[in-house]
Amino acid sequence: MSFTIARTVEDALAAMATGARPIAGGTDLVVGARHGKAPLPSALVAIDRLRELKSCERTADGVSIGALFTHHDIETHPLLTTVYAGLADGSALVGSPATRHVGTIGGNIMNASPAMDTGAPLAVMGAEVELRSLRGSRRVPIEQLWTGPGRTCAEPDELCVAVHIPAPGERANSAYLRLEYRRAMEIAVVGAAAFVALAEDGTIAALRVGLTAVSPTIFTGDLLGQVGRSVADAAAVAAELSSQQATPISDVRASDRYRRHTVGVMARRAVEAAARRAAGETIDIPVNRAIGIGAAS
Amino acid sequence: MSVSTAPRFVRADGPDKVTGSGRYTADLTLTGALVAKFKYAGISHGRIARLDTSAAKAMPGVFAVLTQDDVPDVRFGPFVQDRTLFARDVVRFEGEVVAAVAAVDAATAQRAVDAIVVEYELLPVVNDVEAALTPDAPLVHPEWASYGAADALVRDRNDASFASIAKGDVQRGLAEAHTVVRSRYVADGCHAAPIEPRAVVAQWEGNKVTIWSSTQVPFDARSGVCETLELPNNRVRIIVPHLGGGFGGKCGFHYEAHVAALARATKRPVRLVFNRREEFVAPDRRREGIVYEFETGVAADGTITARRAKLLIDNGAYTADAGFFSQIAAMHALGPYRIPNARADAHLVYTNHQPSGSVRAPTAPQTCWALESHTDEVARAIGMDPVEFRRLNAVDTGGEGPSGQTYGEIGVQQCIAEATTGAGYGQPLPDDEAIGVAIGWWPSFSVPSGAYVKLDGDGSGQIITGAQECGTGAVMTLRQLAADELGMDAEAFELVYQDTSVAPYDMGATGSQTLFNNGRAVVAAAGQIAEQLRNLAAEQLEASPADIVLAEGRAHVAGTPDRGIAIAELAGIAAGGELLIGHGSGMPPGPPPLVGSSCVGDLGMAAWVAPQFSCHAVRVKLDRDTGVVRVLHVSAAHDSGTIINPVGAQGQVEGAVLMGIGQALTEGTTYDEQGRQRNAALLEYKLQTCADAPPIDIHFVQIDTPDAGPRGAKGLAEAPNVATAAAISNALAQLVGAPVRQLPMTAERVWDAMNQEAQP
Repeated sequence: MSFTIARTVEDALAAMATGARPIAGGTDLVVGARHGKAPLPSALVAIDRLRELKSCERTADGVSIGALFTHHDIETHPLLTTVYAGLADGSALVGSPATRHVGTIGGNIMNASPAMDTGAPLAVMGAEVELRSLRGSRRVPIEQLWTGPGRTCAEPDELCVAVHIPAPGERANSAYLRLEYRRAMEIAVVGAAAFVALAEDGTIAALRVGLTAVSPTIFTGDLLGQVGRSVADAAAVAAELSSQQATPISDVRASDRYRRHTVGVMARRAVEAAARRAAGETIDIPVNRAIGIGAAS
Repeated sequence: MSVSTAPRFVRADGPDKVTGSGRYTADLTLTGALVAKFKYAGISHGRIARLDTSAAKAMPGVFAVLTQDDVPDVRFGPFVQDRTLFARDVVRFEGEVVAAVAAVDAATAQRAVDAIVVEYELLPVVNDVEAALTPDAPLVHPEWASYGAADALVRDRNDASFASIAKGDVQRGLAEAHTVVRSRYVADGCHAAPIEPRAVVAQWEGNKVTIWSSTQVPFDARSGVCETLELPNNRVRIIVPHLGGGFGGKCGFHYEAHVAALARATKRPVRLVFNRREEFVAPDRRREGIVYEFETGVAADGTITARRAKLLIDNGAYTADAGFFSQIAAMHALGPYRIPNARADAHLVYTNHQPSGSVRAPTAPQTCWALESHTDEVARAIGMDPVEFRRLNAVDTGGEGPSGQTYGEIGVQQCIAEATTGAGYGQPLPDDEAIGVAIGWWPSFSVPSGAYVKLDGDGSGQIITGAQECGTGAVMTLRQLAADELGMDAEAFELVYQDTSVAPYDMGATGSQTLFNNGRAVVAAAGQIAEQLRNLAAEQLEASPADIVLAEGRAHVAGTPDRGIAIAELAGIAAGGELLIGHGSGMPPGPPPLVGSSCVGDLGMAAWVAPQFSCHAVRVKLDRDTGVVRVLHVSAAHDSGTIINPVGAQGQVEGAVLMGIGQALTEGTTYDEQGRQRNAALLEYKLQTCADAPPIDIHFVQIDTPDAGPRGAKGLAEAPNVATAAAISNALAQLVGAPVRQLPMTAERVWDAMNQEAQP
């Protein structure tokens, strides 16, 4: 087994070109190996010291988040918690404070779990992932990245270096909720994110919904037919369509029947919360605690 | 007494645990130690057709591979001698140990385990308690009749222990009732889930073995080793380093003999450390699933005329300490109520599940949940407020309980008043919130126990106790008792525990019995030293021993505090003459009489010494769209007698309530069609977290209890775990419009109940 510490991105890419797998927080790779999910790869390259991947910067058309930005960084970042609130909703729900301090956005995306909490919000916001290798660099729309549970379209030598999110524009924002049975150390039973843009009269100008843990990958859909309708109507339709189009499994966490029902509830609440934010209201991060499951009285 | 104003003292093991300087069993390293790993059955029921360990034995680095052929052929068990150390011929649950390996490191040990060849002829799996009692059900133990067993047990095929408590004429009581309510409830099994998975280290020196074990009951562990390896008590020494939680899960004798046998075979120290999955699957300590049927008759004025209850308790594949569960569950099914005509029949049923064993108040939380949910159904059937119904029917001082015991001064009515007031019962609430109320009870266990106390020449003291600290703080509180007896400061005493070759017997951290019984022992032991000190002081001060007062670290003559001498100085004098050594045990109080009832399968669980009472009132919020329930506030009132260590007592109630919330809502073991656990991992077995904890208001009803422990203390560790799930259920039933009839009341089950899907 080999373990290399990368000092530059190029170090990391060189190691990956020879078959090494990148490791940052280790919250999926190490935990998975301990639980016998998959053995640790025989060659690892540690990328956790690469400062250039820890940034979060405004760009001309939105924001670029370095792959090593942690969930804690995201849930406390002034720009992300306001303009890109759905992502902060997701990061704030991951694991425990300890997990959130070491777990990174890049790792979460590339782990490609259908139950990941940042996937649906990134997808509804139209995020793109930047993959880099010694061969060059490319940007992939995030929904095309995931090809199955734990699988992505990235080549083995490609490192996720950043995720780019377009600015939502005026009167637009996002929200993410999940069904959870407890308030820490939890994994989404189902979840839903919504991106809502409002017209000046308060009707829907744009609506996208993304669903967590109800299909092999994050499931997204544009609800074009809702443009011009009221938020309440659109939320009801989003709930109905989400329940219809989900293809959940039955397992020890929930039955398919219950998942199908509750993902609709999450979708409706996500649309409502995103619309309230789009209208200028501040709802605390994560929206789960503020208005959804587990809200205090 | 308000908890916040009570005296506080730092628990002796606190700094060690908080700073990380404390050592747990898995931290021990001994020169040349080998690593132990087990080969488990992996299937729930099968006959061993072939067991071949030769390939494993031949692997480099493997020092021993043991099976039942390598240990004495002894059947053991505290109530029914139905099991052997390793599987003999047949495996009866997935976590049964078939073979054990000792190897140079963990990886080698695991490879050796994987190299053991076992072929099974599969046998039909008994996966359901109701099916297990049908006439044509396969038998888990076809040879059951030939097993040794406690004389009082009533056994029949898959029924390992039948108990019945009966009083009056139930048929007539039901016939005379104005209204009769029938209910069925099903509780799933669940787990103690201590944070520290168990560990055992064994080392032989000559013909004696020392075993370090993460056990709550070191003397039970010693008995098990002695019985199965055929050794006398004085050659087996059990030492318990710091224990990382137990909750009952580390009661009983488990793997100490397996590891000792490996150490003997290899002539090396051997260490076993469980992983989380093993902790879930292997030990005979799962909280038992139970199926309940109730029938209660009430008169028009709301008084109970009769109750009938039938319980089928999942024993699992072997009878660990669950032999008494049928009788204690029967008591809980009748409940702390005045019932003139009562009958509860409880069967402890063999299945091919992991064996059940004592977890914090065995059978009580789930039986209280079922009975108290039923009780609310009864109250509503006659249009009576459920709290008023309990005030009317609960046992009270001087009243007679369902087993024919007449109670002395008890505080159940005060508990109802305190808990409901603390919860704001009756106040208007939002339409997605409700307050549920339940009452519970639990005995104090009166058993033998011993301790030594000594004061050394420098005036510092040691308490050498057989009691085991599992986190409750009970052993910690012994310092206070000794100090008070001697007029000294608790900090002047160090505790020496737990070492079975050093201290006298104690039953261990089980049955909330430590303070009740070992407290009595420590007070008696300290009393002997107090007498020695009075005699010494009397000589020094030229006074009568009867006039000497021990207070604030000094001995002085009554009425003249200036005429005194420091206890440390007296200890120095004693060090040159007769040493200051006390030993104590004290006679445990005997059981109260039962009048007018008859008990079948009587193991003494129907006559309760110093019974404890409780009432929990819980406010919950229901998300009607999803069935997710959140507990917003818990008001817990307890009559556990005198509270000696208020901080420890508060911690016990808080922890037990949180455990009760988990049992109510998220903690349940599910089985596949072959009787194997589906959620033997902490991600899928949902313990509550600190983030889920609601505010918990605690009210101690302290009354003078006859036959209680030191200073009127009863037990406390288990009682606060009894009524929480029941109170949550009763709040939920108001919001749902009907009870959720299966425990845990998961979000999906609540949602099913709201949508009137089939319930069990």
